Amino acid sequence: MAFDYIGKDFTRTDAYAKVTGTARFIADLSFPGTLHAQVLRPPHAHARIRSITTTKAEESKGVRRVVTGLGCDILFGACGLLDQSPLAREKVRHAGEPVAVVIADSINNARKALKKIEVEYEPLKVLLDPVESALNRDVLIHERLGNYKHLSSYYPEPGTNVFHHYRLRKGDIHKGFKEADVTVKADFEMPLSAHSALEPHGVVCRWQGKEKVEIWSSSQGPFLLQGVIADMFGLPHANVRVHVPYVGGAFGGKSDVTIEPMIAYAARFVPGHAVRYICSRKEVMTSTVLGRGMKGSATLGATKEGRFTAFRAELYFAGGAFGDTVTNIVTVAGHNSVGPYAIDNCRVDAFGVYTNSPPVGAYRGYGHPEGCLMSERLVDMMARKLNMSPLELRRKNFLCEGKTNSLGETIRDHNGNLFKCLDHVEREIFSNPKPAEDDRYLYGRGVASMMKSPKGATNAGSCCQIKFCEDGSVHLNLGGVDMGQGAQQAMRQIAAEALKMPLEKISVYSEIDTQHSPWEWQTVASMFTWRGGNAVIKTAYKAIEILKKNASMVLQADVETLGYNGEFIFLKTDPDVKVAVRELVRGYMYKGGLTVGEVAEASASDRLPRYVEPDPRFGMGNAGGTWTFGCQGCALKIEKKTGKVIIDKFVSSFDVGRVISPQMIRGQIVGGVVMGIGQTLKEKIDFSGDGKITNANWKKYRLPTIKDMPGKQVVICVETPEARGPFGARCIAEHPMVAVSPTILNAIYDATGREFFKTPVTPEELLGVMDK
Amino acid sequence: MKDTVNLTVNGVRYSVACEKSESLLDILRDRLGLFGAKEGCGYGECGSCTVILDGEAVTACTMRDKERIDGSEIMTIEGLADNEGNLHPLQEAFVESGAVQCGFCTPGFIMRLYALFDKNPNASANEIREAMSKNLCRCTGYEALWEAALLYQKRMLGEKDGCARK
Ligand code: FES
Ligand code: FES
Repeated sequence: MAFDYIGKDFTRTDAYAKVTGTARFIADLSFPGTLHAQVLRPPHAHARIRSITTTKAEESKGVRRVVTGLGCDILFGACGLLDQSPLAREKVRHAGEPVAVVIADSINNARKALKKIEVEYEPLKVLLDPVESALNRDVLIHERLGNYKHLSSYYPEPGTNVFHHYRLRKGDIHKGFKEADVTVKADFEMPLSAHSALEPHGVVCRWQGKEKVEIWSSSQGPFLLQGVIADMFGLPHANVRVHVPYVGGAFGGKSDVTIEPMIAYAARFVPGHAVRYICSRKEVMTSTVLGRGMKGSATLGATKEGRFTAFRAELYFAGGAFGDTVTNIVTVAGHNSVGPYAIDNCRVDAFGVYTNSPPVGAYRGYGHPEGCLMSERLVDMMARKLNMSPLELRRKNFLCEGKTNSLGETIRDHNGNLFKCLDHVEREIFSNPKPAEDDRYLYGRGVASMMKSPKGATNAGSCCQIKFCEDGSVHLNLGGVDMGQGAQQAMRQIAAEALKMPLEKISVYSEIDTQHSPWEWQTVASMFTWRGGNAVIKTAYKAIEILKKNASMVLQADVETLGYNGEFIFLKTDPDVKVAVRELVRGYMYKGGLTVGEVAEASASDRLPRYVEPDPRFGMGNAGGTWTFGCQGCALKIEKKTGKVIIDKFVSSFDVGRVISPQMIRGQIVGGVVMGIGQTLKEKIDFSGDGKITNANWKKYRLPTIKDMPGKQVVICVETPEARGPFGARCIAEHPMVAVSPTILNAIYDATGREFFKTPVTPEELLGVMDK
Repeated sequence: MKDTVNLTVNGVRYSVACEKSESLLDILRDRLGLFGAKEGCGYGECGSCTVILDGEAVTACTMRDKERIDGSEIMTIEGLADNEGNLHPLQEAFVESGAVQCGFCTPGFIMRLYALFDKNPNASANEIREAMSKNLCRCTGYEALWEAALLYQKRMLGEKDGCARK
């Protein structure tokens, strides 16, 4: 298929605003009569609140209101477990939880008043380790877990700290291990880490009386937020209007509802005022959501010929103080930990466990990097035990046409081709022999494969609206948030292709407003290009149908006999008989002014087909929805003197179905790889024994800088069109981060002969093992 | 207690009354309504607030020295495109290279590089890397930012050579 706008690079629609500093992010908005909120956080990670006295704070200069959780019986949950209140009540469950909100005329005055709030706490035992917390029945972080409302696909275990247990039971695990000639087993850990989008979370909230509210937020899920806030107060959802301006990076950290319920609750005491709250960087790290936090163990069994016969794993997620946003992570980590292989017998138990840290939320690829670390390290160990090439062993077991994955879904050719991805990685990394160890460096090479499914609500959908201007130019409107990934530009190119119109004629939405934007579930799980793209195509076809209907009256011809080329509707049999699109968009006006036909405005939607929650007993079903497969590889060296890892080359090959824009897809992939390098070699949230984060700033929590860029990144997109993707495109956004850790750890093994099962691997640790 | 500082921003002169505790970033954003410089951290680690003060790239969030600000010439991202709104070649290089994703780090990187090349058009790869390592980007993995810097430098030097030869 030849395309005009797909697979090509154009100037991004948001580029001009962003390079000139005119793009407005949440902190750049101003409102008349703004009041400022600041938040009191507790000195304990787990404590009972004995009393809160706010009198002095209320009398403090500039203060309009001090709000606590006292008397608030609201519980909310964005995903399906209502276990969180907008402000702490009775107890605090992590050291970043809001205890009180001061609303004042300036940030400074609000801060000064915070110091005047008196709170008496009774400290409780702090639980940080998920395995310890899962076993501890004496210290319960949520005593009332059994009373919380939740979706039927969530499995809390009241009387424990386990708020979700996902179990996968495929085939017969005992038989599988009996068939195995060789098994490998290891314990794994991926600690809590911080998304670190450059833009801090922010929200502005303005109530009109007590029944209507307008919210501006840096959210990835404006419609989700609308529903959560409305339900908190028992309001019609339509009474909550959410605006999302430009979002400065998110990576999942802005998909969950975090600071908004607290500010919406507090701002309701000062109706009429815009109450503004922008997190400090520290608060982003202590008081929104963190990512990862998995500890677990896994075992893989194979025959001596290298056929995988059994996979067993246990994963414990340190879900933090609230489980709502972790539950889906637990489920996908469970069924993706098996890796992109056909294994008949699988048994996985994944637990979401309350701990006294900030809640864990979606973080680029959630659940998948954790599971992929397990499967891909085990496969490499297995290859060594079997004396087989790790590439061959993967090929022997890869999912492909006719094979079933862990969920029991049958994989078809159009789902993607792992073999091609691995061939590319092999050629790029393993074509030449590895350099021999020298005075300065040890050299290593590694590879890992991955798969990723989205996880979301089973009715998760995208809607699109197309309306024409009088001159035939087009407003393209969707509700998917562009947080940097290029959603707006991708939709624009898809629309140009579908409408056969030059890009310049298509003006794409740049902000979201729940009152005017078409519904979008949330912009998460890498699904927007796929789902939104499909919605655009369907809408374009509907719009073209309207144009044709209008033209059929003018040309006095049946709709079926008409063709469309972006500029004209014409008779297929005689293209010279035609009428311009421009003349049809508001109906057709005859010379005398008489107008007939419809206004050309259309909308349509799309969702994952037949997408369901996993079966309660076996954890299987069409719960993946759609898949993207890929392989990554790297060549690295380790400096003997310092233990520093230098990545000379990093290769990523994903079967993306169809490239919409080569430049944007490369940007997604190389960006995801560097984020993965940070996760593997640098990043980790540290806690003191009493549960306070000791590195909640970028001085201590070190993000990759330009100096951490690999020497070279190679990106090779395989394009096996997906049967239901927009022009064949598949999901790709989180994927580049999924297999980076095992890729690097496999290469570190190759260099040092030492096994690492835990991230991050620091220079100190490497020095330690290289000395021996 | 308020200080009054006089400063020129993008060629416009201002006299601003501000609190002692206010940073240059607060002055630009809250007093002058120039929202191009962003606050990613507030303590000098991310560079998203980078502006040019008397020819030097500084993190505006940590610049609280009123004596230094008083009488200074500041350039922010808003001052880079020409009066017709045409992009500066450095901005163009960012657009072309795909160096812009979420855009939150963009003004800081652009100002950092503008200051560098203004002083030292022939900056070596190491000098460019060193300068850019003072800014954080979480989206791009730095590759496209790096390419934008090199593309701009190449074009700028090419043009200079062209002029010299004439
Ligand atoms: S905001 Fe100034 S350096 Fe981060
Ligand atoms: S483009 Fe998002 S932080 Fe750089």
